[in-house]
Formats: sequence, structure tokens, C-alpha cells
Amino acid sequence: MRRRSWLKLGIGGAAVLVMGGGALALMEPGLQQGRLGPSGRLVFTHTGRALLDGSLPAQPGQLAVALEGLLDRIDALVAALPSHAQQELSQLLALLASGVGRRALAGLSPDWPAASTAEIQEALQAMRTSSLTLRRQAYQALHDIAGAAYFSDRSTWPLLGYPGPMTI
Amino acid sequence: MSRLPDPIRDGLARGWRVAGGPHGPVPERLSCDVAIVGSGAGAGITAEILTKAGLEVLLIEEGPLRSSSDFNQLESEAYPTLYQESAARKTRDKAITILQGRCVGGSTTVNWTSSFRTPAATLDFWQSRFQLPEFGSDALAPYFEQAQRRLSIGPWQMPPNENNDLLRRGAARLGIATSSIQRNVKGCWNLGSCGMGCPTNAKQSMLVTTIPWALEHGARLLVETRAERFELANGRVTALVCAPASDRAGAKPTRILARHYVLAGGAINSPAVLLRSQAPDPHGRLGKRTFLHPVVLSAAHYDSQVRGWQGAPQSLYSDHFLETQPIDGPIGYKLEAPPVHPVIFASTVTGHGPSHAALLRQFPNTHVLIALMRDGFHEQSPGGSVQLRGDGSPELDYPLNDFVMDGARRALLSMMEIQFAAGARRVMPVHELAQPYGSWDEGRRALAALPMQPLLAKVVSAHVMGGCGVAGEPRLGVIRPDGVHWQLDNLSVHDGSLFPTSVGANPQLSIYGIVNRLAQALARRLGGGEAILA
Repeated sequence: MRRRSWLKLGIGGAAVLVMGGGALALMEPGLQQGRLGPSGRLVFTHTGRALLDGSLPAQPGQLAVALEGLLDRIDALVAALPSHAQQELSQLLALLASGVGRRALAGLSPDWPAASTAEIQEALQAMRTSSLTLRRQAYQALHDIAGAAYFSDRSTWPLLGYPGPMTI
Repeated sequence: MSRLPDPIRDGLARGWRVAGGPHGPVPERLSCDVAIVGSGAGAGITAEILTKAGLEVLLIEEGPLRSSSDFNQLESEAYPTLYQESAARKTRDKAITILQGRCVGGSTTVNWTSSFRTPAATLDFWQSRFQLPEFGSDALAPYFEQAQRRLSIGPWQMPPNENNDLLRRGAARLGIATSSIQRNVKGCWNLGSCGMGCPTNAKQSMLVTTIPWALEHGARLLVETRAERFELANGRVTALVCAPASDRAGAKPTRILARHYVLAGGAINSPAVLLRSQAPDPHGRLGKRTFLHPVVLSAAHYDSQVRGWQGAPQSLYSDHFLETQPIDGPIGYKLEAPPVHPVIFASTVTGHGPSHAALLRQFPNTHVLIALMRDGFHEQSPGGSVQLRGDGSPELDYPLNDFVMDGARRALLSMMEIQFAAGARRVMPVHELAQPYGSWDEGRRALAALPMQPLLAKVVSAHVMGGCGVAGEPRLGVIRPDGVHWQLDNLSVHDGSLFPTSVGANPQLSIYGIVNRLAQALARRLGGGEAILA
């Protein structure tokens, strides 16, 4: 079941998929009880710092707080997704958290915590413009979730110059 | 939170018959004259007319009952509670994001109030290609008039916001006409948060018009309850089986027995109910020809503020690129200016890292245009098809082929030219390989070279149509011209899924007007009294 629904995600990504699908059963799911598990948190912490670089605070202490806030908001976003979307996201995060998946799907050699922001951005850029549909799908899932979750909180709106709702 | 009166909470306090979710358990067995699946544009109109005709109506809605007291102008609350799949419903290959309502009032609770009658060119096409002589502009006019009266649809009196006025100014400099969009509002505050539910009850959605009227006059409503499938025997529906939408383990299904059933769950969910029911489909039409008005977007930066979140979201449009070419030629497109708020903006603007951050900081000075492509009028535009996943949930497969993507390139060019003509400093087509371009000449050359492929060009949709098409012959469609299913005699389809092509305009008024006529005929057929909308 898990393998079949994963395969649906990847039209054109056969090489990655055969490997990814087979190994997937052994990997830790990205979501656990409808929330980010350790592997999901790992992937979103590090893709988040690269995707939102320039919007996140630069000072390390503030950055850590902002990334924690991002993960909390991703948890809320994920909880509202239907189960088929949760399953696909869980598989994507499981794959990206594994060494083999990270190299194959993201094209990133160093482990997530060891990779510099620039290295992760380079990997994301390669996913974004890849000829493999699966890699572009994966990029857009990470991009859309991180962007939507981060800017759903009013603490981020001053950065956008958005005043927030009107009082009525 | 809004401190204004809330007609829904008042009605509940007066004893409206609502069950499901927080409103109390749904009995295991219910009966009525007419069971209506959904509570959006088609369901709401049908509910009011049938109730007026003296019939006992029961509505079944998968989403929650939320109302003005809940509408806080916050995307973080609106998307998870009021939209299908948290406003992130995707086509099968993830290349199109679909905005569709999932709450009482359906998409009318969250739409941007744009109200157009079905264009004459579209009706002509339906008449000739789908054997529908009944679908003429003159024949439908009285039904549109009634719907417009009932829902206060009329000209918008306030000046357009800057996001819309830039469309007008840029187009005018190029000799391209724009016109005003009629809106279904009464006492609108010009807030701009229509997409998050109207906090002032000005938007005349089904949530504050037909549904309350029907409930006030005895109709019943089940919320947070999903229509799973029809039970069928001998060319008729014998029951509708429903279950709690939350998938609670051990929850008992509900069987609803009715004389007649109306399917109005929207143009992905309605065909899905029929697919789950294994409804007869002798000509292979069910779930096919599903259309989206695929939308591409163009963002532009100006020296002065645009504040695209503020004011009536869509008040001007241009049909220049629909009207200057044949309907069955290369795909044409309608131009509009959508509202922009932080979540949708941050997730739609392409790129990451410092360049993405720089685009986001331009938010107040960003102007967005959208082009809605008129799909379904050419043999190379067959639309998509609705399928079921293993768990029974629906999935739309909509391949973005070269025919559609050729339209995407032309549309992005048109929007860029208009934005530069309106004085844009930079224009950026929403495409993964695009940059902000500093001049029309530079942008035009870059755009000509961009690969127009799915998951590179950003494509979205807020208009799902078709899948249970109406036709004058069974081999051409799923339902008859009177809305009744060709093979199931006591089942009608009354929503956007009945359109045989896309509409070529924002579809809400097309649904209101056409369903108004179907519902009046159904009331007569069921022996109810004469009833009109207004």
C-alpha cells in the first residue's frame, strides 16, 4: 500500500523511485500521529533555514526560536491535511531524512545538520529545475509548506509590510 | 472576532434543525422528500426552491458550519476549516493547486464575489455541440434575473482598489478594454477578506441567503457528514449512505431515504460519489471532461504601494483575449486581478533564500494579475478526469498538455505587457525559471524562451467544472437537460459538474441561474407548488 501510493507520486522519476520505494518500508516515517516526527523535523529544520534564508532572523538564538515556531506551524498545517496527503508527505520526509534519499532526491552529500545553508540552497535549486517530475514535486511541496506555515503567523507580517486584519 | 450580529448563530439559537459535528449526533436512519448532497451554489438554490414548493429537504455537508463570528480575516484559520484539503488540493501530478470550498455555503462562502452570466458564446457552443436547444441566453435570462435579484448581484459602486485599477490603466494604454465585475454583496465594507469568509455578512453567499431561508422554513442540515455512496436498484437510488467526515473509528453510517436525490457537492466530489456508487456509465462520461479554467499568474513591482489585500478583490476584468479569437481555436483567457494575502503570496511566489525574501519584502508594492484559460472548447482541451484513490477519496488527473501551455505563454505575455504599460518597475511571470524583468523588451524575449511545462509554470484553479456533463443525448453526457441522471431516474445533478465545458467566466452565477431553472422543474415534477427564487 505504502509503496503503491509512493509510486503514484513519481511520474518520470522511475530510477529514484525503484530505489526509494523499496527502501521506504525500512525508513522512519516523516509524520507520526499526524505531526512531524524526528525525521520530519530534521528535514524541515534544515530545508526551512535554506528556503526562508533572508526572511528568518540572522542572530542564532532568534533563528532557533523562529525555526521552532516554523515547525509548530507546520504541525498545525499538516494536521489539517487529508490522510492521503499526510501519507505522501510522510514518505517524502522519510526519504529525504535518509542518507540514500537525501543524495538521490535532493542531490545533497553532507548530512542535513552538517550542510551549509548555501549547500542546501544549491540542492534545492537543482530539485526546482530538475528534469525529473518527482524532484520538482518534492521541491514545491517543501517550498509551499515552509512558506505558507512561516508567514501564517502575525509575528512575520512586519517583514511583509502587511498590517493584518481590520478591526470590525 | 466580529461583534456584528451573526444570523447563523441566531438561527441555531432559535432551533434550526442542524446535526453532525458539534451540533449533535446524526441518527442512523433519516427520511425526507429530497436529500441534497452539498450546501454550495447549486445546493443552496435547490434547497430554497424545493422548500418553498413545500417539499421536505435535507442537506448533507461534509464541511463545518462556520459563520461571521468565526471569520477573523486570518488565512491560518480559514484555509484549514473552510477549504477542501486545507486549500492545497492538487491534481494528480501536483502541477495545479485547486481552491474549493468545504463548509456550509461551499465555495460561495469563500469566493471573491465575481458574478457573470454564462457568456452567450459558451451557451451557443453547448447548444450546438451537446444538443442543448434549451440552453439559450434568452431562455435562461429570467432565471439569471431571479438569481441576481435574490442575491443582490449588481454593479460595484466603490472605486476599484489599486490592484484592479492597474489592470484598467495598463490595458487602456494598449487599447484593451476592461469592464466592471458585478458582485453579490449588500452593504459591503470593502475589506478584501472575501476569501476567508465574510465577517460582515455583506457577501450574499448561500451561507447567509438560501440556506438560512430553507432552515427557517423547516429544512434540515447535516454538517461534518460525508456522502459516501448511493445504493442503487433497478435504475433508481434507494438510499444515500453517509458517515461522519472525521473518519471516527466505530462511527455508525447514516442511511437516508428520499423520494429524490440531488447531487451538488462540487465538480470533483459529485462525480466521486457516483464513482463510489458504481453508478451506470454506459458511455464512459462520468468524471470525464472536468475543467479548471487553469490560471497562470504574473507579479509586478511598482514604485508606489498597491496593497493588494485591501478592498474588493476583483472588480475589473478584461475579456479581450476571449473575444478577439474563435472560441474553438487556440485557448483564450480572461484577465482579472486577485486579492493577495501573506500565506497565499509566500507559497505562490517562486524561489527560495535571499531572492525569495527580496520578493516578499516587495509585498505592499506587488501587483498580481491572473489569466483564466477557457478550457474544453477544442479537441486538444479535453480537461481532466476524476478518479478514486484506494481509500475512495477523489483525485483529479488533469494533464497540462502543449495546447494549454501554449495559452499559458500567451497569457503571461499579455499580462506582462499590461503591467509594464501600467508603469511596472519589474515584472515577474510566476514560473520557476523566470526572473524579475526590467523592461517589456527584456521580459518578452525571456518569456519566449521559458519552457512551458507543468511544475515549472505555476498553475492554479478556483473553478472546477464538469465531470457530470449535461447533454441532449445519453452518449454525450451524464445528465439530461432537466438535470436528471440519464440512467438513474430519481437523481439530479445541480452543481458546476453539469457544465459540458468550462464557462469562460467565474462560474457562481452560471450555477445559480441554471440550477434555478432545474430546481423549479424538479419541484413541479415532485408535485410541489410553484416556486421561484425572487
